[in-house]
Amino acid sequence: MKQSLFSARLSNGIVVLGEDLPGLESVAVAFHTPAGAIHDGPGRCGLANLSGEMMLRGAADRSSREIVEALEGAGIQWAQSVSTSHASFAGAMVARQLPVALPIYADILRRPRLPEEELDNARQMVLQNLAGTEDDPGHRVMQALRQLHFPHPWGMPSEGLSADVEGIGIGAVREFVAAHVRPAGTIIAAAGRIDWDDFVRRIERLFGDWDSGATGTVVPGPRGERVRHVPHDSQQTHIALAWSVPPYREDASYEASAALSVLGGGSSSRLFSEVRERRGLCYSVSAGYQTLRDAAAAVCYSGTSAARAQETLDVMLAEIRRLPGTIQEAEIERVRARAKSALVMQQESSAARAGWIAKQWYHLGTVRSLAEELARYDRLTVASVEAWLAANRPAGLTVVSLGKEPLEVPIEVPA
Amino acid sequence: MKFLHERLPNGLDVIAEVTDSALSTSVGFFVRTGARDETDAEWGVSHFLEHMVFKGTTDLSADEINRRFDWMGASANAFTSEEDTAYHAAVLPEQQDEVTSLLARMMRPALREEDFATEKLVILEEIRMYDDQPPFGADDRCRAAFFGAHPLARSVLGTVASIESLPVEAMRDYHRRRYAPGNMVLAATGAVDFAALVESARRHCGDWEPLPTPPRRAAAPVRPAAGEQCIVRPGSVLEYAVRLSAGPPGDDDDRFAAKLAAAILGDGSGSRLYWALVDTGEAEQATLHHQDFLDAGMFATQLSCDPEDARALLERILEVYRRTSEEGIGTAELEQHRNKLAGRWVLLGERPRRRLFDVGPEWAHSGTYRSVADDLRTIEGLSLDDVRRVLDRWPLHGPGTTVLAGPLGADPSP
Repeated sequence: MKQSLFSARLSNGIVVLGEDLPGLESVAVAFHTPAGAIHDGPGRCGLANLSGEMMLRGAADRSSREIVEALEGAGIQWAQSVSTSHASFAGAMVARQLPVALPIYADILRRPRLPEEELDNARQMVLQNLAGTEDDPGHRVMQALRQLHFPHPWGMPSEGLSADVEGIGIGAVREFVAAHVRPAGTIIAAAGRIDWDDFVRRIERLFGDWDSGATGTVVPGPRGERVRHVPHDSQQTHIALAWSVPPYREDASYEASAALSVLGGGSSSRLFSEVRERRGLCYSVSAGYQTLRDAAAAVCYSGTSAARAQETLDVMLAEIRRLPGTIQEAEIERVRARAKSALVMQQESSAARAGWIAKQWYHLGTVRSLAEELARYDRLTVASVEAWLAANRPAGLTVVSLGKEPLEVPIEVPA
Repeated sequence: MKFLHERLPNGLDVIAEVTDSALSTSVGFFVRTGARDETDAEWGVSHFLEHMVFKGTTDLSADEINRRFDWMGASANAFTSEEDTAYHAAVLPEQQDEVTSLLARMMRPALREEDFATEKLVILEEIRMYDDQPPFGADDRCRAAFFGAHPLARSVLGTVASIESLPVEAMRDYHRRRYAPGNMVLAATGAVDFAALVESARRHCGDWEPLPTPPRRAAAPVRPAAGEQCIVRPGSVLEYAVRLSAGPPGDDDDRFAAKLAAAILGDGSGSRLYWALVDTGEAEQATLHHQDFLDAGMFATQLSCDPEDARALLERILEVYRRTSEEGIGTAELEQHRNKLAGRWVLLGERPRRRLFDVGPEWAHSGTYRSVADDLRTIEGLSLDDVRRVLDRWPLHGPGTTVLAGPLGADPSP
């Protein structure tokens, strides 16, 4: 398949990426600035999230309301989010609206007003969302898992902690934005119906004279305990497990994610077949691969009635233990087919592709072509996956349960 | 983009929206059956049957079905609603025959007793899962109260009691009646080879017995009940409220204007409710959307906020509705939301797997086809008068049913 990928670097360090997707009417653009939650700082968990929200509350000569009216008036589907590594602003639109969108995003990134009179409303909005996540058991169990498994501050919830958010002042927000929303480390990616040369010219004009600040460094702290039960008044007990696997930028990540796909990636996966299909223990059960730049985790999840939760955990652990040495050729064939079709279908969504090429750059410092990505899946074999598993048997599991009663976690789990 | 249709002698409709430039093909069977077609004794059978369809046929095991979908790289799933049951898969174009054949064979499931017993446990877990999640059943309870004696009152999942007491024979009988070829549509979108699709349909579905198409139960017009109920969840942090009021049904020309009115008043961003309650941090969520059925329609208001604020904020929402109805809306506001909706439509329209969910049900419900361009023309033609008419005909601050779920009403003593 013919593919048109482009990249450029401005003198201030901004990386500009593009992919022309013929056949689409739309274009999606995403601005990822390095103002992620790992820079929150002690006692200020949620600072990045609150700052991201504040950046939309007025920029240059537009008020909060005028920003939204300008974006939506041009039919732009906009989104703002904060992750561990980035504060991101994105928009998807009919291609002819791109020239309207770009100056608005340039104002948000470069000239946010950060008005003190909006801080209380923004804070309340963040606190409301945090309260909402307290009521969502699936969200809570995964948040606890990440917090225990990854070293501090990579495991901290990027949405924040209520107690910390309560105390953040406007000074902290302004300092945070000044220090971390900066060109060095910023990735701007567009995918869809784009004219690459025109796009780069516009980005250069809007962002070329943006001064670069210093790079922030984060010192990794300790991780949390291995086993935790979170009391929650619910009928179901939620179970989440994690262990360490190589991050995406390491070649072995393909073997790792293939092994996890065999374990719990599709409806023919081991966990789905054994836990749901054969035993009817739950509605959802899965295993997947979650990566940061320098660390990654295998993550398994299930939710089931309290009375059947122990059996569910035991069967999940048995399937994890059984994995090395038992991978079948047909299973690897299915992993390849699923990955290939997901990659190709991703090309039908401009927003998905803009997100994907930015993610690749952040992890790899380059964008792999579709052909190269597919070739990597073609190179997977039973032998390569088994060799990786033999050297990296699942061990040191983090186990979190959430529900009325704690579960018995066998001593030999970290074996 | 072109639309094609053929009907097999046994009544099965085969339709496709063909986009030559698409990279994938989506295929689905849409059955004109859902919760509204169930009797009291069958409550939850449509959705339970949807699960059982994946348990295999007399010559195809559940494992074999799962393996085949994964081997094709298919993104396969199914859903059941009040009016539809759908089985769908997105694949690369070279897998079209394979996936159509698999889906077609699945439509004649074995419905084995032992599979039924195991899957019953999964359904019960699904019911508990939703019951543990916001809005803690407020949506189902509100619909039940709003629709009263109308068949749309029935929840899709059923209840623990209705599922536990359902015998396998009732499911077999329901399947025989409802999965008649004349009551089904085979739909495809994206890079579709239509001749091959029709050929697959003939080969795998041509011998399905052409039973008479079952009628949908005749229903009296909806008489929305006005009132309020509480579901007490002492452990919940926020209060969740759902309010339903009448809106244009699916066969009403005003259904697009209703969606625009809902966006202006209560879209997730940039709407009147957003600026009044969400931007200020008073509510976690305050939205309005319009949903239409064959013979009924409704506007659904959803609110989540601190429990002690819930009643006051519900009043404020009604005040926003009342003021909008009295003062009307401005041209710029109309344009903003019209462009937003149009932009959303273009983006959704680019994805064949998403288009299938418009094209399939539209044909199943009304036997008509609307292209993305048709929808865009309708959206772009909407005027201030259209929105005004909707708000006059279906006053949002008029009678409605409200259900609150959360700590409100709980015994204050621990």
